[in-house]
Amino acid sequence: MIKTQGLTRRFDDLVAVNDLDLEVEQGEIFGFLGPNGAGKTTTIRMLAALIAPSSGAATVAGLHLGRENRAIREHVGVLTETPGLYKRLSAIDNLLFFAKLYGVPEPGKRAERYLRLFELWDRRDDLAGGFSKGMRQKLAIARAMLHEPQVLFLDEPTASLDPEAAKVVRDLIETLRTKERTIFLCTHNLDEADRLCDRIALFNTRLVAIGPPQGLKERLYGRRTVIHLADPCPGLEDALKLSFIKKTERVGNSLVVSLSDPEQENPILVKRLVELGGKVQFVNELRVSLEDLYLDLMEENNTSA
Amino acid sequence: MILFGAIFLPLFMVGAAEVMVYQGRGIEVPGAKIALFNTALMYFLILPAVIPLAIAAYSIIGEKEQGSLEPLLATPISDLELFLAKALASVIPALVLTWGSFGLFLGVSIPLVGGIPPHVLTPPWIAAIFGLTPFLSLFSVGVTLLVSSRATDARAAYQVSSLAILPGIVPLIVYSSKKTLVSLFLVGLEGAVLIVASIVVLYFAIKVFRREQILTRWK
Repeated sequence: MIKTQGLTRRFDDLVAVNDLDLEVEQGEIFGFLGPNGAGKTTTIRMLAALIAPSSGAATVAGLHLGRENRAIREHVGVLTETPGLYKRLSAIDNLLFFAKLYGVPEPGKRAERYLRLFELWDRRDDLAGGFSKGMRQKLAIARAMLHEPQVLFLDEPTASLDPEAAKVVRDLIETLRTKERTIFLCTHNLDEADRLCDRIALFNTRLVAIGPPQGLKERLYGRRTVIHLADPCPGLEDALKLSFIKKTERVGNSLVVSLSDPEQENPILVKRLVELGGKVQFVNELRVSLEDLYLDLMEENNTSA
Repeated sequence: MILFGAIFLPLFMVGAAEVMVYQGRGIEVPGAKIALFNTALMYFLILPAVIPLAIAAYSIIGEKEQGSLEPLLATPISDLELFLAKALASVIPALVLTWGSFGLFLGVSIPLVGGIPPHVLTPPWIAAIFGLTPFLSLFSVGVTLLVSSRATDARAAYQVSSLAILPGIVPLIVYSSKKTLVSLFLVGLEGAVLIVASIVVLYFAIKVFRREQILTRWK
């Protein structure tokens, strides 16, 4: 649905996006993560045919960037960093105005459908300026969805929202997931990306890493099992001697064991520990947060740069 | 500011023009009377240049400040369509208000001075009111859009544009000081200058009014 090859954007001497190669599949929720000034918004602007790349090529919804910009804008929806609503227009008038610009057939019915979907129908005649931040964001997403785009770009959809409003917007994004629609989500909220995204890209002017959140964690840290023991049992980790164990660390009364196939290997491991006299209390999978992954990869990227 | 331009200013200009023709009624010196009538006409030629300033400044920079311009730029409309929409949204109200004000001026003149003042419904006046005003508005919009590309906020754009339209209305000030009546030749001459100036200004305004420029170069 989105394919870029060597996509680059320079602003005079500043390289905002450098040689970006990316493929996003149809129906995917794709997270685009990076620090402030990483070039995320510039990337969205290029892919939404708002600004031109300095070099490289891209197709969006099967359309060539540069040659078919108007058609691209017909097939994508963009939620910008700020909702950018007309505050002196009512919610429904905001949608009707954009429905006309997108040439939506039966704009009244379409606006009603999205206002109902986003639970704003009862407030349709209220001025957008009187809405809470969460409601404004929902209305702005409704506006971006109004022409039923194949690709939806969401730039920081939950930024500056309180946790409750952010959850409402996050739940809403989840409901927008369909087989036909691709959602390209720029966010700082790593927990949000972890929960919503099928795949993520870590980006800091150039692509740092790409893959499913869990896959990236496993690639970087492997899969680890934590075994809590009742007693310290000194020397137990050295006595294990199982060929599938990659690494064992001791943290207090616990052992952290790196494995490649824990579903198969954990029962053998626990059995062996019990045979060696270990009093096993709990066995858990050590889950690494996306935040840990993000910080480690970004630090690695900064060091190598 | 838009309300000032759309309501207060036209009413003020109508009132000022009425004062001119009312004073002219009792003046016997022909040169002085003519100068007063020319000044009255000038008021109706200032309106189409001033009214679009605030509308154009706020419809571009104001939208950029509020963040509503980028969603608009993300729609499939072309740069030229958006430019024309913004320009017409400024020019049409300016013309309607100018012509409406002129109508009000005529209507108020009848009870005030006992009929339509002399020289007002003559070909030079009619040519000026209906022929020059669209170009004065277009020139003003073009200047405002050009200034908007460099201004940081709508108020600054409005203030700088106000200065930039002065060259466009200088000939009108010259009229008002002349002691000969406005002629078709003078109106035609200014019309020609305004057409050329409008084309030049609009050409450059269209050049800077591109998505790419608005999002990356405009302040």
